[in-house]
Amino acid sequence: MTAIARVRTGWSHANRRGDLSAAAIALTPAVLLFALFNLYPLLYSGYLSVMEWDGFSPDKDYVGLGNYKALYESSTFRNALTVTFTYTAGVTLLGVVLSLLVAVLLNSGIRGQNIYRLVYFLPVVTSTVAAAVVWRYLMNPGTGYADVLLRDLGLTPPSPSWLRNPDWALRIVILVGVWKRLGFNIVIYLAGLQNIPKEYYEAATVDGAGGWDRFRRITIPLIAPITLLLVIMSIIDSFLIFDVVYVMTDGGPVGTTEVVGLLLYRQAFRYFNLGTASAMGWVIFAIVFVITLIQWKFFGAREAGL
Amino acid sequence: MKRIFLVLAVIVVLVTTPALRLSDTEGVASAQEPIKLTFWNYWDGKNGETIQALVDRYNEEHPDVEIQNVFVGWGELLPKLQLAVAGGDKPDLAAADMVWMPYLAKSGALIPLNTFIETSGVAIDDFYPALLNVNTYDDQVYGLPVSTNNLELFINKDRFAAAGLDPDTPPTTWAELKDYAVQCAKPDEGVVGIELYTQPGEGLTWQFQVYLWQAGGDFLTEDLTQAAFNSEAGLQALQFWLDLIDSGAYTISDWGLFGQGQACMVMDGSWMVGIWAETAPFEWTTAKMPYPEDGEPATNMGGEHIFIMSDDEARQQAAWDFINWFTSPEIQLEWDMETGFMPVRDSVATNADYQAWIQQNEPRLMPFVEMQQYAHNRPPVEQYSELSDVFSAMLERAIYGQMSPEEALSAAEAAVNSLLR
Repeated sequence: MTAIARVRTGWSHANRRGDLSAAAIALTPAVLLFALFNLYPLLYSGYLSVMEWDGFSPDKDYVGLGNYKALYESSTFRNALTVTFTYTAGVTLLGVVLSLLVAVLLNSGIRGQNIYRLVYFLPVVTSTVAAAVVWRYLMNPGTGYADVLLRDLGLTPPSPSWLRNPDWALRIVILVGVWKRLGFNIVIYLAGLQNIPKEYYEAATVDGAGGWDRFRRITIPLIAPITLLLVIMSIIDSFLIFDVVYVMTDGGPVGTTEVVGLLLYRQAFRYFNLGTASAMGWVIFAIVFVITLIQWKFFGAREAGL
Repeated sequence: MKRIFLVLAVIVVLVTTPALRLSDTEGVASAQEPIKLTFWNYWDGKNGETIQALVDRYNEEHPDVEIQNVFVGWGELLPKLQLAVAGGDKPDLAAADMVWMPYLAKSGALIPLNTFIETSGVAIDDFYPALLNVNTYDDQVYGLPVSTNNLELFINKDRFAAAGLDPDTPPTTWAELKDYAVQCAKPDEGVVGIELYTQPGEGLTWQFQVYLWQAGGDFLTEDLTQAAFNSEAGLQALQFWLDLIDSGAYTISDWGLFGQGQACMVMDGSWMVGIWAETAPFEWTTAKMPYPEDGEPATNMGGEHIFIMSDDEARQQAAWDFINWFTSPEIQLEWDMETGFMPVRDSVATNADYQAWIQQNEPRLMPFVEMQQYAHNRPPVEQYSELSDVFSAMLERAIYGQMSPEEALSAAEAAVNSLLR
């Protein structure tokens, strides 16, 4: 029976028993809230993206695709896209690889597993803004712990210091992003690892496979659906990065950490160009949508067995 | 099913009851009840206490009006005003940053004050014109200044003494400023001679504007349609900053070193006098900001302006009565003494009591009071925030050596002109 046929039987079955109206009543509040707080703003921002509006005046001017054209021509926006892609790639790659390594180590039965799990998970539940402020203090020029530690080790910190250094600022922001994500990835990976039947490993050991072979031939393929999930989630989250950058660097130095989220915020709430900001939102939406589709098509559907 | 109806019934009751009660009381009591006005501003700390005390006193002296003083943070005030206008829930009056005034005045959300000013016979010439003109759009005045401030030089006396410098003979020219700063800086300990604002944004722009004006330049042309900073003076000012960096007088770091005792000198605002008097763990004093030998004295100014947003005529009149009281010389004198803001009216600045009070209580405010007459205002254009950001972003490239000063000023000029078009 195909999936659709199955749904259809279920549907008529439910209807026959008179449960459909109950289901409708139960779902209505959620659907209404979703429509009010997600769907309506989404569509409204689409409408705003073809308008020029300062947020105050009663009239909005229709400018067609003018806002999108201006973004296409803006070198600031292009730079912001590059920075956002770099950040996303860095956080996703490092975050997924590191968390898989840690998860495998934790799963190998070392002592105090729960304590490690807690320690790695703490950053996930820490308020991002608070964490970013603390990181900023750590990286403070001269008096920050990073500088003090380096000087104690007999090394010279870079000049200008960390977050004011065009070579270092983005790396540190990526580091904070990875630090914040790692625990979440580890917990999901651990759950996946524990679902792999022990027999597979035993059989492979009997056949003479070493540790690396078992990891490569059993763990990685069997955990692929989870990797896909984590990569997609990481890309979506990272692409929308705003708070860490806003607190730590405000986009500086010389635009090296100026992500799209920051530009959008400035356009909307500092310069009151709500049309431009909405257009940026839709460009981000389109990019994330396409990336997710591609992943799903070429990698996901097959591996996830859907 | 029954339960659902019960829930719906409860919701209906909850939603409708407050509305019923509201219309009830309004119908009965509107004759005797005082007019309630909402007043938004972002004054906090000592300033917040002072405005609350003034509002309380006004309410007591005027039983027919009740003003509710509401604090809204600086960062939230403008977005909140915007939401309030869209949602029809505006405050009756508000006080906001002077850089937002051109945008607000043009937005159509503010009530013109001309008729009120004429009827009440307010001596409008007494307000400094540079402050007043940011409120004026199409010959209509949309707000009145209530407080101002400017930028002058702060000196860390302990650092000066350690470097063998005398804080009682402060630098008076750019050349001296640089010499003093080089002598006082200790780059290996993170101590700078003179602190500059080198993070992009309005902080950089408004500090740099002082150097630009001192060198005889201007930020925009007089008709506000084009950039004017790509000039001899602009180049001289930017080159001076780069010289300070090259000579080791300043090393790129985050703003805020002076308060930590890590800077010998800084150009900062008059509002820091009150703050550092309480928090700075070192001896300090103030002086007039040095300017080039062939230049002129200049400083930048900020401050707050008060305006009316209510659509109701009775409320507008009540709001104006409060504004008229708050901006009167007597109350302004009290307000400036309590908060340390600079006077917005000439009659207050030159008032003998005021000057005697400063000499006695906080002589370190004197350079600010004396220099207020040389204060320029930032160009009153509605795109100012964005303009300031793109300008500072180009200057930052020169500071990081990615562009020559000439290239940076040309690039900033092109970016600013495209925004003004």
